[in-house]
Amino acid sequence: MSTLLITNGRVIDPSSKRDEVADVFIVDGKIQEVGKHISAIAEKTIDATGLVVAPGLVDIHVHFREPGREDMETLETGSRAALAGGITTVVTMPNTAPIADNQTVIEFIVKRARELDLITIYPAGAITKNEAGSMLAEMREMKNSGAVAVSDDGVDVDNPGVLLSAMEYAKTHDMLLMNHCETPELDESGVMHEGWVSTELGLPGIPEVAEDHGVAKGIMLAQRSGARFHISHMSTKAAAAALREAKRAGLANVTGEVSVQHFALTDEECRGYNTHAKMYPPLRSRDHVDAIVEAIKDGIIDALTTDHAPHIEPDKIKPFADAARGTVGLETSFAVMNTYLVKAGHIPLSQGIALMTHKPAEIIRQKKGTLAVGADADIAIFDPDKEWIVDEKEFLSKGRNSVFIGKKLVGKAVHTIVGGKVKMSGGKIV
Amino acid sequence: MDVALRRKPMSEAEEDLSKIREGRDLSFFDLTSIDQVSLKDLALLYDVARRFRDYRTYKFSFNKGYSQVNAFFEASTRTQASFDLAAKQLSMDTTSVGSTNSSAKKGESFIDTVETLSAYNARAIVIRCSQAGAPEFVARHVAASIINAGDGWHEHPTQALLDALTMLDECASEDLSGRVVVVVGDIKHSRVFGSLVRILKKLNATIRVAAPETFLPDYVEKFGVSTSWSVEEAIEGADVIYALRVQEERGAKGDIPTLREYSKTFGISAKRLALAKPEAILMHPGPVMRDIDVHSALVARHPQSRILRQVENGMALRKALLWLMCDRADGATKSYELL
Repeated sequence: MSTLLITNGRVIDPSSKRDEVADVFIVDGKIQEVGKHISAIAEKTIDATGLVVAPGLVDIHVHFREPGREDMETLETGSRAALAGGITTVVTMPNTAPIADNQTVIEFIVKRARELDLITIYPAGAITKNEAGSMLAEMREMKNSGAVAVSDDGVDVDNPGVLLSAMEYAKTHDMLLMNHCETPELDESGVMHEGWVSTELGLPGIPEVAEDHGVAKGIMLAQRSGARFHISHMSTKAAAAALREAKRAGLANVTGEVSVQHFALTDEECRGYNTHAKMYPPLRSRDHVDAIVEAIKDGIIDALTTDHAPHIEPDKIKPFADAARGTVGLETSFAVMNTYLVKAGHIPLSQGIALMTHKPAEIIRQKKGTLAVGADADIAIFDPDKEWIVDEKEFLSKGRNSVFIGKKLVGKAVHTIVGGKVKMSGGKIV
Repeated sequence: MDVALRRKPMSEAEEDLSKIREGRDLSFFDLTSIDQVSLKDLALLYDVARRFRDYRTYKFSFNKGYSQVNAFFEASTRTQASFDLAAKQLSMDTTSVGSTNSSAKKGESFIDTVETLSAYNARAIVIRCSQAGAPEFVARHVAASIINAGDGWHEHPTQALLDALTMLDECASEDLSGRVVVVVGDIKHSRVFGSLVRILKKLNATIRVAAPETFLPDYVEKFGVSTSWSVEEAIEGADVIYALRVQEERGAKGDIPTLREYSKTFGISAKRLALAKPEAILMHPGPVMRDIDVHSALVARHPQSRILRQVENGMALRKALLWLMCDRADGATKSYELL
């Protein structure tokens, strides 16, 4: 029997509405008891005085690049970066090389994750073969191999007929369909948010209507199909309004996520042709960011994610239009949420943690992100007041391309525990 | 190099130019945006450019021993020829690289290409490229002075400098206060507009823009311009009419039905020109699409056209810029960080 006792921390477990100073007792990798002054004798004790004890974070939108682009990231380095950020469960997007549109690639990821024994990795398979938007991928086979969702992330399923078929088929197999909603014909080959900043910089803009249109199309088809439909990385006013309206209308099958950079930063970050600020959807103008924050405050948004997108340096030291898109985020996401939502006074810490734990876990229907008795003992212990400056040289991810480099953030993971075992302590993998 | 040795003995013309310069220097080491150019810089550039203009093709030895690379990754006639001639008339050695003969074809990155060119001890690298911001990006990482000769839809600063010189000469005043400049055409895809609007603001001009909505970028009015869909309305009482070319190669094709319809609605005809002030001038950065942007008869011969004057000013302006940038009186050098 292996035991671990975490004492005197502020235990925040939104799934059981707990936010109080308490102890957490773990036996054989499961939560045995959460309560005040647990008197059990444990093999190992962690004093969490002054720290926050939360379920390990669940990030349902990451890119780990393996198989195919192991120079950018691997399942191992991505997992280590996740641990450094207090993340214990991820959903990997299928745009690897080859694309995860078949059971072989899904099986490879599941097997490799098991061997690594670092975090829980749930792969997402592709919606369509080769993410080409025409032929459906074998969703049932992928589900049986361990995929928890399908997504053509990186691109929308542009053809609404194909998207509707995909939803109806996903529903048949009770598969979650995640969609990158961005109508390509409306993005005009843009490379950043279309607005005053893009005009000043002379860069082709992506109008918000590209996302608005994609989200509206997706919700309409979700209503028609009844499939479990999840909107990836929402970033616009109208997208938030559309999800708000869908929820008001009682569409329980529609959920939406926001990637943390989209409520934290604006398109002003692109000034100086800063390629770390290049991503899709793009960082938006202040009015959109404010609307996204409002939607988070009002409980319209169901999950916060990173869209962790590691790249090699040569792909970012390029003219802005040619540079790779995306930012890493696993090692900064808790701090970004804490800094820009909690410390900024928008939401209480427990609400932010809910959006990064049990709520995303419910979307993928996995028993994660909770400290309920009997649950896997995946736990993150944070110092919520630790101030630090983001330095990419300290990242465990292979990707150094963070849009938060040089920014001061508040809050950092101190220990990360997976299945009752301490996997990260003080920024180092144990 | 011993600058003093190179300079002596100065010819009469060189002494004359040096006297005009009065030991002044520009505030910048690279020219990537009009935002960098102060009013003091403008005064210096124009003092020197006007005098260079008087000497026409006289060969000065000011920049002898310095090299210039013209890196034109996009097509160019007048800008490339004028930079090349300007450098040669300052006794510089010049060479050109382009997209068809460059290592970019072999997969070399933009920054590596420019770092290599800089390593030939080039004093100045003139860059034209399709990517906005690329000159600004490489300027931070090479020793050579980078001059932006057009980057994507962003800026073309030397064009704006020569255009403003042309306008100021016409008004015979220090700035353009009270003057109405109308810019007509494909604003959205135009780097010429990007620089022109910035310099006209600096000189206090009143700026109107006339174009179909599809040619107007988002929030263009934030530059401090008024916009109109009617070219007649915009031209009414103007001092300068500045026509732009429809940038078909940069994605303008889908923004208008046909050039024929565009010409009918926005092309500058004698009738439209007559709506402006009688002494108004007509300008165009070139290349002109005759009978599309500007009616053929108005291009070169018309008394109100300044299109060829712009070209002449371009030579003088670029000569001034190259001399002031390459041959600094204070001997200062730019700081940069190799990538």
